[in-house]
Amino acid sequence: MPGVFDRLNKEIENKQQEGGITPLDLVELPAPLRKIMKIMLRELQMTYPRLCEVMDAMPEEERLTRNLLDEALSTLTQQFWLVRIGEKEKAIYKVNLKRKSGSTLSAGIWSSLDKKLKG
Amino acid sequence: MNKGKIVSIHSFRGGTGKSNTTANLAAQAALAGKRVGVVDTDIQSPGIHVLFGLDETKMGKTINDFLHGKATIREIGFPIGENTGGAEGRAKLAGKNLWLFPSSIRGREISQIIKEGVDFNRLNEGLQTTISEFDLDYLFIDTHPGLNEETLLSIATSDILLIILRPDNQDLQGTSVTIDIARSLDVPNLMLMVNKALPKYDFAQIKTDIEEKFHASVAGVLPLTFDLADNASNDLFSLRYPDHEWSKALRGVAEAILAVK
Repeated sequence: MPGVFDRLNKEIENKQQEGGITPLDLVELPAPLRKIMKIMLRELQMTYPRLCEVMDAMPEEERLTRNLLDEALSTLTQQFWLVRIGEKEKAIYKVNLKRKSGSTLSAGIWSSLDKKLKG
Repeated sequence: MNKGKIVSIHSFRGGTGKSNTTANLAAQAALAGKRVGVVDTDIQSPGIHVLFGLDETKMGKTINDFLHGKATIREIGFPIGENTGGAEGRAKLAGKNLWLFPSSIRGREISQIIKEGVDFNRLNEGLQTTISEFDLDYLFIDTHPGLNEETLLSIATSDILLIILRPDNQDLQGTSVTIDIARSLDVPNLMLMVNKALPKYDFAQIKTDIEEKFHASVAGVLPLTFDLADNASNDLFSLRYPDHEWSKALRGVAEAILAVK
């Protein structure tokens, strides 16, 4: 029987199928949103209290106020660029990157290449 | 926060000596007693494994296997310090903490990635997990030349970005684009390295000119040399020929990277 951790992971994986941010989108993000995304890219997943701790440990000029942080998290989750499991203090956030799509070449070309490479 | 630093090595154009530089910088960091990983994210045209003496027969699990869920990060890490091979330079890495995370050189697996695309959540998870699983001080990422999505992802997560360019107008223009992107992504430490500079040039002047043009620090100007070409990726040049001008300048770049707090 799957435990709580497995169920949460499954829930996160299901949500990650929906949308996601591309590395190119990161370039265009407003600074506060990009700051959060960059932290999340390195940490993979974080609880809300941990994210607040990391923010509080930043130099004052780089820090986001709690209101700005909450606003940014709300925008990022609405866009499915972050996946949130749970609510408020118990929320866990995980970054959601969009899959890089494959080649649009016709299937015939790939099947022919595959046969050749199998030798 | 992870304690290990991600160092992305990038060039806008091919042929700048990116893989050679990455392998030598990683080797210098390992010689300095650091725990070092090298990831080949140039999935479409991998090559850095050659400098570490790997070929298809020695290569085990790869990044491609990880991306397809067929291997863990732990299984991919190839311990160079335990497998230095016969090369004189690489032999100096015996017992050092250096791991290579290679991309597959099997044609079918490369074509599979191009055909099916890349799960970026999995790729990023792999890069970050590598640091924690191997308790790395530095993870060097050898990127694909030019700007593609894998490269942007590695730049976005980097602590240090080293951009390699030749003193050539095409490289200068391309580097300008990469620097703009890196600044948009708030990369904390941006450095440039000029490679393949003709020995007749004034290297100090090249450094000054490029620093003024890009408002970024040039960590080293390395000469164009037939000796490096003659090495033909058979060995790690800076370890094999430590007194060569190229090796001395390369060590300067390594020192600049290791000095970043």
